[in-house]
Amino acid sequence: MGKTGQPIEAAWAGSRRAAKGSAVILPVLLLAAPVFFLLLFFYFPLGSVLVGGLTDQSGRFSLGIVAALLGNPYYLKIIGFTVWQAILSTLLSVLMGLPGAYLLARYDFRGKRLIQALTTVPFVLPSIIVVLGFVRFFGNNGVLNRFLAALFGLKEPPLKVLYSLQAILLAHAFYNFPIVVRIVSSLWRRIHPSTEEAARSLGAHGFRLFWRVTLPRILPGILSAAALVFIFCLLSFAVVLVLGGGPRYSTLEVEVYRLAKVSLDLKTGSALSLVGAVISLVFLYIYIKLQQRSSFAEQMAEDYERPRLGAMLRSAQGVFYLLYLLLMAVVVLAPMITVVAYSFQARSGWGQQEVSVEWYRRIFSGGGPYLRAVLNSLFFAVMTTLLSLPLGTVLAYVGSRSRFAGSQLLEALMMLPIGISSIILGLGYLKAYQNFPWKIVGSWYAIVFAHTVIAYPFVIRVASATFRKMKSSLPEAARSLGAGPWQLFWYLELPLARSALVAGAAFAFGISVGEINATLMLYNEKLVTIPVMVYRLIGSYNFIGACAMGSVLMLFCFFAFLIIDRAGGEVG
Amino acid sequence: MSLRIQTVEKIYPDFRLQLNFEVRQGELLALLGPSGCGKTTTLRLIAGFIDPDSGSLHMDGRRIDTLPAHRRGIGIVFQDYALFPHLNVGDNIAFGTCMQGWSRRDSKQRTEELLRLVSLKGYGKRKVTRLSGGEQQRVALARALAPRPHLLLLDEPLSALDAKLRKSLRKEILRVQRELSVTTLYVTHDQEEALVLGDRIAVMRDGHIEQIDTPERIYNRPRNLFVGTFLGQANIIQGRLAEREGELAVVKTSVGLLKATWPAEEFDVGDEIVVFFRPEHCSLGRDRANRIRGRVIRKEYLGSHALVEVEVGGEPFTLDLSEEQSLSVGSDVEFSVDPGRCCLFPAARS
Repeated sequence: MGKTGQPIEAAWAGSRRAAKGSAVILPVLLLAAPVFFLLLFFYFPLGSVLVGGLTDQSGRFSLGIVAALLGNPYYLKIIGFTVWQAILSTLLSVLMGLPGAYLLARYDFRGKRLIQALTTVPFVLPSIIVVLGFVRFFGNNGVLNRFLAALFGLKEPPLKVLYSLQAILLAHAFYNFPIVVRIVSSLWRRIHPSTEEAARSLGAHGFRLFWRVTLPRILPGILSAAALVFIFCLLSFAVVLVLGGGPRYSTLEVEVYRLAKVSLDLKTGSALSLVGAVISLVFLYIYIKLQQRSSFAEQMAEDYERPRLGAMLRSAQGVFYLLYLLLMAVVVLAPMITVVAYSFQARSGWGQQEVSVEWYRRIFSGGGPYLRAVLNSLFFAVMTTLLSLPLGTVLAYVGSRSRFAGSQLLEALMMLPIGISSIILGLGYLKAYQNFPWKIVGSWYAIVFAHTVIAYPFVIRVASATFRKMKSSLPEAARSLGAGPWQLFWYLELPLARSALVAGAAFAFGISVGEINATLMLYNEKLVTIPVMVYRLIGSYNFIGACAMGSVLMLFCFFAFLIIDRAGGEVG
Repeated sequence: MSLRIQTVEKIYPDFRLQLNFEVRQGELLALLGPSGCGKTTTLRLIAGFIDPDSGSLHMDGRRIDTLPAHRRGIGIVFQDYALFPHLNVGDNIAFGTCMQGWSRRDSKQRTEELLRLVSLKGYGKRKVTRLSGGEQQRVALARALAPRPHLLLLDEPLSALDAKLRKSLRKEILRVQRELSVTTLYVTHDQEEALVLGDRIAVMRDGHIEQIDTPERIYNRPRNLFVGTFLGQANIIQGRLAEREGELAVVKTSVGLLKATWPAEEFDVGDEIVVFFRPEHCSLGRDRANRIRGRVIRKEYLGSHALVEVEVGGEPFTLDLSEEQSLSVGSDVEFSVDPGRCCLFPAARS
């Protein structure tokens, strides 16, 4: 009997192993396509930049080029300036964001939802629009200078901010302070005011109360927001390229672009990219660590009564906040309104009363390069969405559902594109595929693949937040009712994640349609997109055209923004 | 179907679960224990959400621990109900039958049947997020039962509800369970629930089952002091076995000699012993054995009965007296307890 019992036991054990095996095989199968894609269109290009920076002309390993860069005062100055402007921009963004975070966290007012929604704008507003808005609003011939000159009867424009460090800082702060508002207020909101009330009852008030009680608790949020803003400023490209005014204010990104596209020196470009990538990855690591801390720092309820903002604004400290709100409204809205308003001018120059839709007619009359740019942009954005949505969803799903040896490393590797600038990505495509039998550079899919690599981490973020939030009893209930792994995904997890996926798709669309960095590296005359066209029109001082194209772009981004807001996508 | 859990072991760094018991065909077994004793882990092992380190699970003799969770045919009602928020009431209930490949017609018919069974007829199109707690609970029960599971597991299904609703719903659960005579394992930490619902009760502590028996025997004949004190209130007093008078054990305690019948034969003269009896088995009057004199130190009037706390030589005793007694705090009192109601346990080694 013992002998007959043996095989049965063995068979059971075997089927058990098989059952366990399928739990491993499924994620592996799911992962295969995304991993293959990323290997080919992210890691291979990145690797070739790495190799390019670390080998000499004969192809042998050498630190010579990097060492030469780090010994060259010109490049040292650029590296120094890159970090310096990012530090200043971050400080400015935090200072501008904190009062807003306070208002959103601690007060109730009409339009609060709208303001909260608007803090997503930096994630979908193309940088080229920021640049354009700044040029038209703060420029020597811009709205602000015109207004001040008329007001005080001046001949010269009083504010000369463009093409300077201030312009870069201002644009970065404008672009990024909403991120500070968003991240800090979401933490601040969760901190019940009872600790502050307790401190007040013990005699603390004013600045001391903030410094000793409030600040320590919101600090994780501030640091995590600052780290994210710092990375964005470090990798900022279009803002520095245009507003920096040429070689005087150049950062790593802009310099790599020049080396690759103007000097055609891919070797030095690679080495410089290497330095840039190391710096940004260090800060990405810091950001991830800080974010883990801030998300576990406070787990308290948000339900407590908040005072009305209206009453506070009428008090003494209200004057400060009133001024703040006014200033922020001008800073945020004015450049964007300027872009739209200017696009309807008949001729360049101010004081024109004539309203004209001439440029829109030129764009949409068909056949011209402008319509082609619009269609190109839409095509790339749709393709990017179609690619990055499944890619990001699968990676988020596997990442949040299965734990296996090295899954955390895998997760980090999947999120790496956030820390690698799209200029370096573009350079990678140029380098990796220059001697490739398959013609990739100069093709539409190179741009789509690059956009996908840039966009899918956002899909991952939105989707994995939803997958993680799902109560573990839901999939268990479905399994007990007979749902196998596929049915579980198809009938339960996917429908539950639907709105997150809609938000993810809108993000991917918005990011692709506004992307300029990698596109500038990879485009040719047939593949001009709206942002590239705007950049070229700015370069030829055709501001009405730039503003008209920019307005079309803003319209697309606005739709993406609306969808994200409706679907309630959460980022950052 | 019957379920046999055979020498199952699951080891965690700080916890060890060891199980060996059976849920009989058609019965409702209440798994009772304090939080952290391993009740929910037991349930998850049976459901297939976690694998045992050793041992096996059998349903009607067929081994099931080798099957994945979705092939076991076990219905579960979760503590938080785990209703699918994207589906309406009807689709929630039909989820299992759809997954298991029932035809659309059968599935629909079965859903209607269950809606009627849990008294939610006409609720099919409602959103589950709009239901009250009690209604959600009933949908969860209907959903678990729809695909005709071999076994029903309930994980503290009433713990999220208020006291009144709990009472009416447990009647409902019992009615449904009897009607379908589905083999059921009911996890709870509420002793009253276990006593009312269980055909048998398994009392669990620190990862193993202390006693598995009918509610009456668990209550009146607890196997050890833990079971005795976990269910209901208890008076305990330390002592030493002085002598044996046939079936009776005579125990010398600080409040005098106490006689007890059960289980007298397990002890020898001189053994350290704990005498255990229930407050409601005490009565006033001097006509019986085991008379104890003391002083009333507190009284709680509870309407239908009263709890009286009596101090005897520094030891507190609680009496549960059903009739209105003219006992005032501070007065002397003499009470007695039937030797047949006294249990003996070995003294806890501290």
